[in-house]
Parts: sequence; structure tokens; C-alpha cells
Amino acid sequence: MSLWLFVLRRIGRGVATIWFAVTVTFLMLRLLPGDPALAIASTNMTPEIRAELLNQYGLDQSLPVQYVKYLGELLQGNLGMSFSQNIPVGDALMQQLPWTLLLVGVALVVTVAIGIPLGVVAASRAGGLLDRVVQVVAVTGQSLFVPSIGILLLYVFGLQLGWFPIGGAYTAGTYGGEWYLSVLSHLVLPCLSLVLVQLGAYVLTVRSTLMESLGEDYIVLAKANGLPYRRVLWKHALRNALLPTTTLIGMQICLYVVGGVILIETVYAYPGIGRGIYDAVTRLDFPVLQGAFLLLAGVVVVVNMITDIVYGLLDPRVKVGSS
Amino acid sequence: MTTTVQMPQAQPEETPPKASSGTWRRFRKEPLGMIALVVLAVLVFAAVAAPWLADYPTGYGDRVLEGPSGAHWFGTDSLGLDVFAEVVWGARQSLLVAAAASLIAIVFGTLLAVVGAYFKRVDAVVGVIVDLTLSLPVLPLMILVAALVGPSTVTIIFVIAAFSWPEVTRVVRSQALSVVRMPYVDAARLMTSSPAWIIRRHVVPAVMPLILVSVVLTASRAVLSAAGLAFLGLGDPNTWSWGRILYEAQQAGAMSTAWWLPLFPSLAIFLLVLAATMLSTAYNDARNPRRNR
Amino acid sequence: MRSTRVITAAALSAALALGACAPEAPQSGGGTGGGQEVTDATLTIATTTDVVNYNPLVGNSRSDYWITNLMYPHLLSIGEDGEKEPELAKEWGYVDDTTGFYELESGLTWSDGKPLTAKDVAYTLNAVKRDAPAGTLYGQLSNFDTATAVSDTRVEVKLTKPDASVIPEIGFWGNVVPQHVFEPAGSVAKFANDGSDGGWVSAGPYVLTDVQRGQSYTLERKDDYPLVEGGKPKAAKVVYRVFPDVNTEILSLKNGDVDVIANSLPPAQVKELQNTEGVTVQEVPGLGYAHMTYNMTKPDLAKTDVRLALAHAVDYEAIRRVVLQDQAVSTGSSPIMPVLKQYYDDSIKEYEHNPEKSRELLDDAGYKANSEDKYPLSFRLIYSLQDPVTTQWATLVKDGAAEAGITIELQGLERNAYLAKTDAGDFDIYAGNFAIMDDPATNMSLTYLPGGAINYSYVDDPELTKLIQQAQVTFERDEQVPILQEAAKKVRDNVYDNVMYTQNLYVAHRSDWSGFTVKPSELLSIVNPISVASATKSE
Repeated sequence: MSLWLFVLRRIGRGVATIWFAVTVTFLMLRLLPGDPALAIASTNMTPEIRAELLNQYGLDQSLPVQYVKYLGELLQGNLGMSFSQNIPVGDALMQQLPWTLLLVGVALVVTVAIGIPLGVVAASRAGGLLDRVVQVVAVTGQSLFVPSIGILLLYVFGLQLGWFPIGGAYTAGTYGGEWYLSVLSHLVLPCLSLVLVQLGAYVLTVRSTLMESLGEDYIVLAKANGLPYRRVLWKHALRNALLPTTTLIGMQICLYVVGGVILIETVYAYPGIGRGIYDAVTRLDFPVLQGAFLLLAGVVVVVNMITDIVYGLLDPRVKVGSS
Repeated sequence: MTTTVQMPQAQPEETPPKASSGTWRRFRKEPLGMIALVVLAVLVFAAVAAPWLADYPTGYGDRVLEGPSGAHWFGTDSLGLDVFAEVVWGARQSLLVAAAASLIAIVFGTLLAVVGAYFKRVDAVVGVIVDLTLSLPVLPLMILVAALVGPSTVTIIFVIAAFSWPEVTRVVRSQALSVVRMPYVDAARLMTSSPAWIIRRHVVPAVMPLILVSVVLTASRAVLSAAGLAFLGLGDPNTWSWGRILYEAQQAGAMSTAWWLPLFPSLAIFLLVLAATMLSTAYNDARNPRRNR
Repeated sequence: MRSTRVITAAALSAALALGACAPEAPQSGGGTGGGQEVTDATLTIATTTDVVNYNPLVGNSRSDYWITNLMYPHLLSIGEDGEKEPELAKEWGYVDDTTGFYELESGLTWSDGKPLTAKDVAYTLNAVKRDAPAGTLYGQLSNFDTATAVSDTRVEVKLTKPDASVIPEIGFWGNVVPQHVFEPAGSVAKFANDGSDGGWVSAGPYVLTDVQRGQSYTLERKDDYPLVEGGKPKAAKVVYRVFPDVNTEILSLKNGDVDVIANSLPPAQVKELQNTEGVTVQEVPGLGYAHMTYNMTKPDLAKTDVRLALAHAVDYEAIRRVVLQDQAVSTGSSPIMPVLKQYYDDSIKEYEHNPEKSRELLDDAGYKANSEDKYPLSFRLIYSLQDPVTTQWATLVKDGAAEAGITIELQGLERNAYLAKTDAGDFDIYAGNFAIMDDPATNMSLTYLPGGAINYSYVDDPELTKLIQQAQVTFERDEQVPILQEAAKKVRDNVYDNVMYTQNLYVAHRSDWSGFTVKPSELLSIVNPISVASATKSE
């Protein structure tokens, strides 16, 4: 009963979030001085062409009229047509979103798989040599400037050693198993960069929270009761430390999916949505931007819901649905 | 631009007296922390002493894209300007942006998180605001804002601060929520009617380690974000920053051919972020003297 | 089809995730075996931007131009001196003052088997006039009335008034599109031509068959293409690949992952690539210019002496030597560039770099320098941050002006803000460049006539206007040239425009590819359709 209420409230909040993103985007785009007609037309554009373009885009109508029309279309599942490409917005975005999800997803799994054990090891040997080594490695990664390290990796592993291809997500003209292999080999370097950059946040968060909770009363009590240290560490303390980590995962997904991979996609010429949005911004392609922001808001809402649920499962102190 | 250095010294007055007395003593025993402190001091010195270290890079030079030499320690760029001078003068801008942006983000983010965690009604609002703000595609919005206002230092600081505070709030809030439900906080509620006192006395100290980690992550992300924005062509084109050196190297297609161009500003960014992170971790450990076995 | 494959890939890789970051790399570049000429090779070309529009009548990015050019022929091409050359049209000209004609090559077909005839040409021109798509072609049609296919190979064009340059200009800028594909789609301004309805139909050497946005555009050979030697393109496939970062693009060329870089190289990289083994650098003559215009609606800039003072404060020689690495030529500050040999007037000389002269001019104009030797003149110069070369020389312009006691405030703008401010006249000084300024009469009418689409100095000089209008209706070249030269001199002497240089461009390709045909400008360069269709790979 209370769980259902909780879920319902979460869904309500999700819808509000999406509405907010959509509205802010809509207003920002229209209140900014940029002229999408100019971004599309070539230099020698006459006032007539421009008027015609604005009319075609519906931008010559008043703001409330545009807004109502836009929301109406949205409720019918119509994202509109791209200004610059004249194709449905969904088509323009859906070719690129999966690549970003692939890159971010794989990098996330790898990062968590490496990051949590490293954090635990560092916390349990706090102050020791191993702790220092882990910290340095973790922090080194997150201190790197992505484009520089990207070019370096491409230079060494792409040009000098020739192990991995330079740029792109797969080799054009390959099929079947060969295609999957080419996807993997194109994924390695961008994925490696993303893991390097994200790892530090996970290691440090796990480490610092774990050290905190190792000092907490119930842990001390557990140890006093004679539970083996290893078990206290991995079972009780880590469980507590996973809370902020869960938050972090949710955040990092949002951060990186929501345009944060633009730099990686730029350097590695990876065909993801970050690049697509960047291109749409430079062309002031309103419908594509509105559609992209809507899509990303959707991803964020889903990730937040999952985070909250995992959070509730992990921490008995935060009771789901209690108020 | 000195916030990152002041941070550890600023803390003791907020922490319980028993911890602060030993903090500095223990901190000095952390070699990594001390090294980090020295590195930061050097970078800050470079920023402050830039006018005495090198002439402001302007105009052009005739020796274009030359590697490091006695005359040009860090080589020259595609306009023949001295890269050492650019890095030194760039330190000012980069440290300023990092400090200002992270300060705004931390103060604002922590305030919202702590107050939110304590007052349930506020928390719902804070949660919604954080969710909503995080759901906005910030980097594209930054690009739009920069295009609108014109890429300037102030724009970059505010844009990065606006990008960073929701994360601080989220991380801090999750910890603060657990703390607020602790029995000793409930007990404190019975003892006083001043929420400000409880928040300051119990909630803030409990989330402090997390805030410090956040300071580090936020400041380092601010340096990296500023460089990233600059790399996408949205830095302040009138002031030298590490990001601008990198951007110009990228535009000149010289990232892989003139290695000194990306190397030195990247190294500066790397050292700053690394040192700031190490420093806060070391401080955190010193403040929290838990020693098992 | 493609999208389902991508989604499965995402799901699969999530499962494989742990091992996914360190798999064995299966790629081992290119083919093996040593012969002379590789038959049916794949030519991989790198570009920095995605295709925005597959409709050549709308598209305006370089990638749009390059890729649609391989499918939709132009009536005319252009030589190194800006003279028009035959492509689809073998002959062109005027029947009388208000009637022009194109005589087409016969025997071209669309890739779906239908013949390309004069009807397609007439349809294209009339549809563009009717629907006003935002491409360059529509801008050339202001004096165009109708086009008619008088036979399968001859098109006649009716003009609303005499215009000596409209026939060559339409021929050069216009692509011909298939009537049977575009007409059913309705307005050519709104037709995406994205291949969603059964793929693309091409009359060029290649036809687009597969697209992955942000990564690659694959084109396959069309077996008959009479405009190339032998009637059949050499390379079996052309793959355009997108590299947003020019550094990655250069690495990829060195690595051999791509064969050609289509966009012009950053000036500082030319020498480096010339010295790279396995890479050939090709010079491409420029056909445009970089310039600054002074907004004459501002009271100070309305004064010729102030504009002259600004012009004399710029070190043009240093800009060309340092920023452009000597890869640019002076136009003598004239809007008619030396590459247009038929029109160029070498008696027009560049503004001398002389800050002292600037000061004299300002003193004479009644401006008083303050104690720090600065005049009460401050101007805001706008330029696009997406244009690295201009971004670099803008600071040199600022430094030069400071020497003459004039303050210039640099305002580097993101491209859209730049275009918006340019269009609104929201600047004191504008810095930018044009890729192709092939026809002086047309270009001067756009740049210097009141209300002209790119009249960024807001010049309105009745004498100049008269000269330009006269040139537009003068059909004999010998009579037209002196008029245009007089106009150019007026522009230079009154600083209505400050034309700084024509940049010669450099593109690079792998040395095992040869047979390219170089055409001027970045748009044609070595990636024009004839060149791409003629290129061969040797092993």
C-alpha cells in the first residue's frame, strides 16, 4: 500500500521533471537571440527567405500559441521536424543515442567493478602503502584532461602500435561477427578514457564513507561482539558505504549521458548523442534540441527512480513510503 | 584563487575541539598530503607572481611551433608565442575560475542539502529542484548561454557553478538524511528548539568529510569543465587560460605533432586537480583518526 | 535494420561488459598483395562535420556539398582562374539580353535507369524559384523568370531583366535533381531527401547507400558516368568519415585509416604533413577572400579618414606570414583577387602598414590624442570563434590598432551569435571570409549595393552603385572588365571593404592514391566529382 503510494509519487515527480525540462528548454530557445533561420540559410539570404523560413518553423507566432501547439503535439507523441535536416526529430536522435548508452554503460560497469573493491582495499589499509598507491592511481585518472589523454592514447595505441582503429564506432562495410568485433575494437579506447576519468570518484567515495562507517557505533559493536574484521568490513560497513555510491552512479550516468561525453565523442569521433546535441546547438535546431532534452530528461528520471529503489533496499533506515 | 589552500585551515572551528587539535599534527605525517600542499603552493605562486615570471603573451613571434629550448622552456605556439608565459598567466585564470565556481557551488549546494535534510517539507522541494536541475542538459545549455552572453570569465564561473551545485546537494543530502534519523539527533531535538544549532552541531560535522570530498571533486571538475568548455571553443578568448592554450593547439591541429603544446597546460591541470584531491583526502584522514589494527 | 543491430549491440555489450574493455583488436588495416593498380578499391575521405541535408538545393555545410555533389551534377564547373568550365552543360550563353541557354551532354542517366534530360534541369530551376529553399542557388535567381526544356538536351532560361552573370552563376551553383523523385515530394524547400523512401537516386559517379550519423557515409559506384575518362568511376566505394577533431583526423590519415582529408589543413600542419612519409599534400588555389568591413552607420566609421587610419594600422604582411604561414596572397586590398586573372588590376596597391600615417590621418580629421597617445576611438570587432585563422589574426589587428592609438575590443562569438549580430549590423568592425567569390559583378552587387545581402559595411555610394549596375548588364567581357576595375578601385580607396588576402589551401591524401583533379576552393578541391571518380590506388 505505502509502496504503491511511493511509486505513484515518484512517477508524478518524474512527469513533473520532464515537463520542467521541456518548458525550460522551450523558453530558453525562444528567448535567446539566436535566429535559427540564419543558422540554416547561406550567407546571401534575403528578408523574404527568412520570413518564409520563420513561417515554416512556426516561429512567427506568439510564444503562448507556440507553447500550446508544441505541448499538444508532444502529447500525441509528435516531436516535430528538424529545422536543418527536414526529418522527424526521433529519426535524427535515435541513431546516435544507442552509441552513447553503449559507451557509458560499458564504462560504468567496468568502473564499478574496479572502483568498489579498490575503495574497500584502500579503506581497510588506510594510511598504508597500498592505500596510497590506490589513491594515487584513482586520483591520477580523474585529474586527466580527456582530449589530451585521448589524443595520446590514439597516438600510442592507434598510430604507433596500430592495435586499435582511430575514430568511429565500427568499420563501415563489415557484417555479422566481424561487425561486432569492429564495434568492440572501436569501443576500447573511448571506454578506457571514460573509466580512467570516472574511477577516482568511485574509489574515493567508497573509501571515505567506508572509513566513516567503520567508526560508527554499530560497527564498533559488531566488532566488540567478536565478528571477524573481514566480515564486518565487507558485509556491514560496505553496505553502508554503498549508499553514496548508488547516488554517485545515478549522478554519473546523468552527468555523462546528459552531454558529458561530448569531449570523448569529439576526440574519438564517436557517433554519440553528445555530439549530435552539440551540432544541433550550433545550428539552433530547436526541435532536435527540444527532443534531445526531453529524451535526456527521461533517462534521468528513470535512473533516479532506480537509484531511489536501490537506496531503499540498501538502507533500512530510510523506509520507503514512510512519512 | 587560494580557497583550495585555505580549506583545511578553515575547518577546525567547525569541528569538535578534540579532533582539531590533532588534525594538523596527523596531517603533517601524511607525505602525500604534504607533497600536495607544496604543489598547490607552487601553482598559486606561479599565478600570483606571473608578471615577474614572464611577459604577458601577446602579438606574435617569428619562431612558430618550436619545441622547448633555452629561450622558450615550454616551446612556442602556432603564433610563435612563448608557451611558458601562457601557462604561467593561464594559471591565474584557471585558479580563479576553479575557486570561484566551486565556492559558489559548495556553499549553495551544502546549504540546500543540510537544510533540506533537516526540514522534511523543505526536503521535498529541494529534492524536486535538484532532480529538475539535474535533468536539464547542462552542457548544451552552457553552450547556449555562452553563445548568448558571450564567452567571458564571469559567464564561465557562473555557468560551472550552476552545473555543479546539484551534485553537491545530492551527495551531501544522502548522508545528511541518514544522520538526521540518528537517535542522537532526535535527542538533541528534545534539548533545544534551535534547528540552526542542531544543524551546525550535529548535521554539518557529520557530513563534513563528504563536503570536503565534494569540494575537491567540484574544484577539480571546475578546472576540467572550464578547460573542456574552452576546448569546445567557449572559453574567454581574451584571457590566457590553460583551456585556451589547449583549444588553440586543437585548432592548429598540433595536439599530436607539437607535443609540448598540449603537454604543459594538461600537466598543469593534472597537477592542480591531483594535488587538490590528495590534500583533501589527507586532511580527511587526519581529521578522522580511525586506526584499525 | 541498422538501429536494431545497434540496440542488440548495446544489450550484448552490456553483458560482455567486463571483458569488453580489453578485447583483442581484430582490425588489420587494408588489403594485402602487391599489384600496380588496385581495382575496386574503397576511397575513405575524412571530413569534420556531419551531413545536415541530403537535399542539395537546401544544404549549406561543406559535407553536404561534397556528398551531394557526387550524386547531383552541376551544369558548370570552374577553373583555377575562376573561369567556368563545362560539366553537365557543354555549352552555355545568351540568345538575347533576357534569354540564356544551356546545351547538355547527352547519355547521362539516373541510378534508377531513367535518363537525365533537360526537363530535370528546367524542373530544378523552376522549383527552386517557386519554393525558395535556403541554399545558395536561390540567391542567384533574383533576375530569373522561368526555365524551359526546349529539347532533351537544351534548356532555355527567361530573365526578368538583362543580367550578364546569371547564366554562368546559376550553372555553377545549381545542382540538377531528378524530377521524378523530387516532384512527388512537394516543396523542394522541405524535402529532406534522406533516402528513407527507397534510397537515393544519383546521376553522379556515386550513390549514397548507407549512413551512420556522426560516423560514416558510404557511397557506391554508379557503373556509367560518362564525364569521367573510361565512363566508369575507378574506386568501387567512397566512404566519408566524420572527425569532429582535426587532430584525430590527421592521426587517422597518418595511420592509413583514411585516404583523404577533404577539409583544408590548418596552416601550421602543412609542413609537418609534407614531411610525413606516405602522405602527399596538395595545394588548392583559393577562390575567396578574407576581409574586414567597417560599419558605416557608426558616425566615426562613416568618415573615410578613420577607416583609412584603421586600414593603415594593420600589419597585413605579418598576418600572412605568421598566421597563414605564407599560404596566402595579397589582393592589393581590392575585392577582385589575383586568381581572377581576367579581371585583376595589379595597379591597385595594398594599404601600407604605417601606424604613423594612421595617426596623421586622425590628427587631420580633428581627433585629439590624450596624454597616453590614445585617440578617443574604440571599436568592437566581431568574428566567429569557429574560424581559427580569423581568431588568430584578430588579435594582431587589435595590437596594430593599439599602436596607432585606436582601441579595438575583440568580440569572438559562437557561430550563430556571430551570424545574428552580422545580420543585425550589431558590430563596428566585422571580420570574416567568403569561400568562393568567382564572379566580380555578382559579388559586388551582393556586397556593395545598398540592401545587398552581404553588404556588411552598409555602403551606399551612388557612383559605385551605378558602376556595378552597369557591369551587370554589360555582356562583353572586354567592356565589363574596366567598369569592374574602376569599382574595385573605388572600394579600395574609400575603404568600403578591407580585403586582406586570398588563402591558398592545402589538402592531404595518402601517397598510394593518385589521379586526383584539383579544382579551386575548398568546396571543389580534390573531392570534386570528376576527381573522386578518377582517383586510383596503387599497391
